[in-house]
Amino acid sequence: MKQLLRRAGVLALVLFLVYTLVFVVLVVLPGDPISNRLSDPDAGYTPQTVDLLKQYYGVDKPAALRYAEGLLRALHGDLGHSLADGQPVTGKLADAFAPTLELGGIALLVVLILTALVGLGALYGRVPALRVAFMSVPSLVYSLPVYLVAVVFIQAFSFQLGWVSLNGDGGFAATFLPACVLGITISPPLIQVFVRSLINADRLPHITVARARGIPELRILTRHLLPGAALPSLTVLGITIGYLMSGAVVTETVFTRYGLGALTQKAVQQHDQPVLLGIVVVNAAVFMLANLLVDVVYPRFDPRVQPRFSHAK
Amino acid sequence: MPSSAHDTLLADLGTEPDPGIEAGRSGTAPRLRGRRIPPTVVLSVLVIVVVLVSAVAPSLLAGQDPINGVPSDKLASMSGAHWLGTDYLGRDMYSRIVHGARTSVLSAILAVAVAVSLGTVTGLAAALGPRWLETPLMRLIDVLLAIPSLLLAMVFVAAFGFSSANAAVAVGLSMIASFARVARIEALRVRSAPYIEAAEVAGTSRVGVVVVHLLPNIATTLISLAVLEFGAAILALSTLSFLGFGAQPPDPEWGQLVAEGANFFYAAPWLVYAPAAVVVIVVLAVNRLSTYLDARAFDESL
Repeated sequence: MKQLLRRAGVLALVLFLVYTLVFVVLVVLPGDPISNRLSDPDAGYTPQTVDLLKQYYGVDKPAALRYAEGLLRALHGDLGHSLADGQPVTGKLADAFAPTLELGGIALLVVLILTALVGLGALYGRVPALRVAFMSVPSLVYSLPVYLVAVVFIQAFSFQLGWVSLNGDGGFAATFLPACVLGITISPPLIQVFVRSLINADRLPHITVARARGIPELRILTRHLLPGAALPSLTVLGITIGYLMSGAVVTETVFTRYGLGALTQKAVQQHDQPVLLGIVVVNAAVFMLANLLVDVVYPRFDPRVQPRFSHAK
Repeated sequence: MPSSAHDTLLADLGTEPDPGIEAGRSGTAPRLRGRRIPPTVVLSVLVIVVVLVSAVAPSLLAGQDPINGVPSDKLASMSGAHWLGTDYLGRDMYSRIVHGARTSVLSAILAVAVAVSLGTVTGLAAALGPRWLETPLMRLIDVLLAIPSLLLAMVFVAAFGFSSANAAVAVGLSMIASFARVARIEALRVRSAPYIEAAEVAGTSRVGVVVVHLLPNIATTLISLAVLEFGAAILALSTLSFLGFGAQPPDPEWGQLVAEGANFFYAAPWLVYAPAAVVVIVVLAVNRLSTYLDARAFDESL
């Protein structure tokens, strides 16, 4: 419990630093849409209007003051307003969160299913060549860019086979197709670690003994092989959440889905600093929470791993 | 299943190592018999050489104009005149891909150079610098690691503006943390070695010890990481270009070629497959080379 509080403290500190870093990167450098729009001579703003608008968007104040105010508001759950359309950032993030959660959840399921299939294929493939083929799947998939898989899947399953309608409300299939793209492209690291741990575990003497004693293969797999192999994979699962969020940007953009990824793409396109800042903070929070969860759960499955504080002085 | 079957499998892995598995961590690492270089590595090096030549002197390999096409020839399929067909403006696709290597590869080199230099300096400063510097630097690395890498690169590119050079620096900055972590850990490992102690006792200056004795001994690890990250940089840069945040038209870049080709996928699928295949092949080759270098470094350390 004490350790959990400590970790939560570090998480909050890093989150604060993330906010600071991104604020510095985005604000110290020029190019926000307000200044661009206001300095455009064709826009026809009078100097008074310019001053008023600058005041309205808060870009007339010095950066340090804006940082302090923004941080104070952020602590109250208010991330400011979008520079592009004036909507509150918190509302935009909340609207975009649900579709991405749905996409990411199904993608993670796809990842887990693929990992299990490739792992079992590499372990139990009938001929050595088949097992080697299963083992080289992840490195091949790793070099496939997300955008390529997305473009090819849309072409194949939506346009040519006509299985999935991507226009308007396509129902479950309209989510499942992009989730497959996302799941396939982010799966290689997890698959690699799982396959390697599974095969290493399979070479241990107690497995040979178990087989020699005639224990059914299913029982060996579930009781002796999987628990050992699942543990290292758990750590990689935390990291996979990060790939998931990066991959969602491309997937949602190519599939023209609404969500955090599409919002990110738009915010970068429009130099919408408050929205981008909010997205990064939310992403970092989710990413770190996922990894914290993995670290908390890990010792429950592997008693060898002691929570760190018990070693501390 | 008898365990001998798995020995066969592992032996197979030894001769035909899995390009993506980073070696040196477990028993499945590719075994190097003597100094013989596996054929897949030779092939990878060949691919990389061809790509580097295209980046430096594209006109050597492709004579046709990559920017100005013949509109009447648009969307032609593969032929003797246009090996990979033409795009929607009648530009020769083969030529555009070869000339695209310049932007794609040089940007990736720039990105890795930024990441290696800043990352190594950060890592060494954290490991060997004054004690008060260590915590802030480690926190900085934590912060960089807390943001998913593509998102971090997008934040930087949003700040810098959209161009291939800016995208390269952005991707480089987003990769600092991995180099900093490795450089720090390696520096801590090497620092206590007897030859470092001997150099210090002999009166070599602090900087001299780092430059002459420490850096060469952590270089192998950093180089194999750099090669691996070069593949990652090519993927990240082509993704940024695909989204429109990297190289701007008409300047060809692999990811941007795929984005352009996707509009004509039904009529001319090769416009997507050709540049994408180049990305895949280059990343595979680079990863294979990195695995090999990593395994060699591991063997040498034994």
